Amino acid sequence: MTMTFRAALVPLALAAMLNIGTATNAFAHAVCGDRVFPATLVMDDPGVSDELSLPTITYLPIPAANGNPGGHSIDYGFEFDKTITEDLGFAINDDYFTQHGVGQPNLKGWNNLTLTLKDKFLCIEPLELMMSMGVIHEFGGTGSGLLRSAGVIDSVGSTAPTWYVGKGLGDYPIGMFRPFGLTGELGYQISDTPSVSPHEWDYSASLQYSMPYLAQHVKALDIPDFLNHLVPLVEVSMSSPDRGPTTGQIAPGLIYLGNTFQVGVEALIPANHATRQLQGTGFLVQFHLFTDDLAYNTPIGRPLFNRNLWESQ
Amino acid sequence: MTRYTPAIVAFATAALVSGAAFAHAFLDHALPAVGATVAQPPTELTLWFTQALEMAFTGVEVTNAAGQRVDTGQVTLDPKDPQELHVPLRPLQPGEYKVTWHALSVDTHRTVGDFSFTVGR
Repeated sequence: MTMTFRAALVPLALAAMLNIGTATNAFAHAVCGDRVFPATLVMDDPGVSDELSLPTITYLPIPAANGNPGGHSIDYGFEFDKTITEDLGFAINDDYFTQHGVGQPNLKGWNNLTLTLKDKFLCIEPLELMMSMGVIHEFGGTGSGLLRSAGVIDSVGSTAPTWYVGKGLGDYPIGMFRPFGLTGELGYQISDTPSVSPHEWDYSASLQYSMPYLAQHVKALDIPDFLNHLVPLVEVSMSSPDRGPTTGQIAPGLIYLGNTFQVGVEALIPANHATRQLQGTGFLVQFHLFTDDLAYNTPIGRPLFNRNLWESQ
Repeated sequence: MTRYTPAIVAFATAALVSGAAFAHAFLDHALPAVGATVAQPPTELTLWFTQALEMAFTGVEVTNAAGQRVDTGQVTLDPKDPQELHVPLRPLQPGEYKVTWHALSVDTHRTVGDFSFTVGR
């Protein structure tokens, strides 16, 4: 080995954080007018709901570099989303990270706990336009000491004010284009200790084509019913820290949207040269439950307080 | 993670097969079908939803190209199937018709939707 143990871990740590960053950002689906925005796998959706992602499994190959033979990481994530009122909710998520190979001792342990508070402040049903604002807080020091000492997870926390938007093209005049939907997310992550972990911009977008929307609102095709539940999509998620290169992933995939659950799978393709130094093309699989449907008559499945912050009841 | 696996599998299985599970009521299919062109004017529109409906908070309107209602206003729930709605129609002329529905599922989720069908000349 020509590198010290800690120096060799730096690219691996960055790759691991890419993996963890992917796995922890799975959120709830949202409905606005005719449009159902499914729970996207890499980024958040624009709504607030009662849902559970369990598990989200992410596999990423780690390329060989600097005398390190390469290896892979597997991350097992979960997220629990709960509404406080109809439009205000919170989410708790964490993930168990494992790393194998790479010529170093295997690593495994829990990531830092993350809490999100989010408010849906706009839904214009005829336009299928939805917006939310949220604050994402990562509690530094709550994860595995082993991962922290190896530099795989942040030793300090962060807070990220974040804006979410979703727009369905249901008002577009050409029928076959109406199932298209776009979502976006923009946040600025403020580090608790910038000298240790820099601030960064996080920005994501998705393009979706909803086969359920096509069947319910545009044209019922004579195809197997299974196909009427699919949402092909592509997500792009990027991070630009104040210090260091911009990294990100392009994630094309497919979601099966059931009545009480959804299953999604996406490839995770490095979005630029800097990201390719850290990871190969991996994949992500997620099983997602709609607890607002499964447990609607319990506090788990309905808002804790039956009111909307933006409408008089 | 291994020690949690049985619980995860059990929860997921229960969620998928549970007979007590409800969900948002979305349109499953319709007759005339969504976006269809039919040769003969139908006397009734039938809608099938993905969940059972609360009829008191469910409604359907069918309008012609001029925006005039062509349904009789007497929407009924099928006595044998709480997911099936029957919408009697007045005599239809050739043209495009818009169906607008709102529904409340038995688990109190509100949904809305619309689609069109055409009666051919």
